Amino acid sequence: MDHQALALEMRGLREQVTGITDTAVAAADGLLIAADTADSIDPEGLAALAAAGLGLARRTAGATDRGALRRTVTYGSHGCAAFYAVGDTALMVVLGDEGMDLEQLHRATQPALHRIGSILTDTASDKASEGV
Amino acid sequence: MCEAAGGVMSGHEHLAQALAECGRDGYTGELRVHGTPGGTFHFGDGRVVAVETPGAPGPEALLLRSGRVSGEQWAELVRESGGSRWPATALIAHGYAGAAQLRVVCALALHDAAFAMAAGRVDGCERVASAELFAQVPLGEPPLRLLQDATRRLSALAGLPHPVHPDRERPVPAGTGPGSTALQRELLTHADGRCTARDLAFRVGRGVYTVAVEVARMLDEGLLVCTAAPVPLPVRTLPDGHALQPRKPSQAEPPPPPAYGDLPRRKPGSFFRLRNGTANGTAK
Repeated sequence: MDHQALALEMRGLREQVTGITDTAVAAADGLLIAADTADSIDPEGLAALAAAGLGLARRTAGATDRGALRRTVTYGSHGCAAFYAVGDTALMVVLGDEGMDLEQLHRATQPALHRIGSILTDTASDKASEGV
Repeated sequence: MCEAAGGVMSGHEHLAQALAECGRDGYTGELRVHGTPGGTFHFGDGRVVAVETPGAPGPEALLLRSGRVSGEQWAELVRESGGSRWPATALIAHGYAGAAQLRVVCALALHDAAFAMAAGRVDGCERVASAELFAQVPLGEPPLRLLQDATRRLSALAGLPHPVHPDRERPVPAGTGPGSTALQRELLTHADGRCTARDLAFRVGRGVYTVAVEVARMLDEGLLVCTAAPVPLPVRTLPDGHALQPRKPSQAEPPPPPAYGDLPRRKPGSFFRLRNGTANGTAK
């Protein structure tokens, strides 16, 4: 996995979509891989919540015959938290303030999710670097 | 960008032309501005009656972030107003804001949103008919006056010794002092090298122009500094023996439905808690 490429994707998304405050990438079971989060956020807890939230949403979609799960979004009065599956092995969390344009976020995340999926599964450029 | 007689129009010229045409035509509907941050001007009879943009906090964010109305109270006001996006009558009826006060908040937000869009990149403008008019100011503003005010603010900001762009610089406290005003102290609390002036405006519930000017002043006074390189982003290697695995489809049977009786009360925050939240769910 190319750590620098992953960091660039996450930071690029925050700069591309106005209103994104934090992002995180984790394994599908909730084990944190990377976090671009403020000090006030616990990234490990957030990753675990996202894994549980996506699992519950996937089961809900299945139980109600809603087809393949696309994303889950939690809306609050100060913003929202969006959880996306990255292929079958990982997930991405995006937190935004109340100004963030969700439609713009969903448009921007689709190509980013594809690239992040490729980075995570790419074993050729395995670089063990901490803090890129 | 679009072609115009005598050359290629810039995004801002395109915005000025689109606004002028909407005013001249007495247009009612939305004018969507594509770009960064982009947004929507809502027109009623050729006057701007609301502006929405990711680039500046609207009246709702200003009221909620300032603590004048809580999130729960806002949800109740919206319910009471039949799901209205802007429950102005209920806000006044419940005493959360006076009618004049609300007009001032809305007018300030209108000008601030126009400023944020004018400060950004404009890729194009598109008229979109809307079934229902969204209005936050009753009479509305002439569109070109709104744009002139935004241009004046941009010039004023650019004329400061340390000008900042609402969506670019991400300052950190210089550690030279606690700030002399409440706004400065708030900005010092939230400036962590991740937030632009626009982000800080949302955090403190103030207009983006006000915050951008204050950030510029604080940079000049040495209270804030802009670091050259962003904070490194930690990427972890998965522990030994823990490779990325495809998720396993859940085979668990759903729990049996509970016996009917009184509805149990929700107990917030028992398993996971973000660092900035508390057990009763209130976030800082």
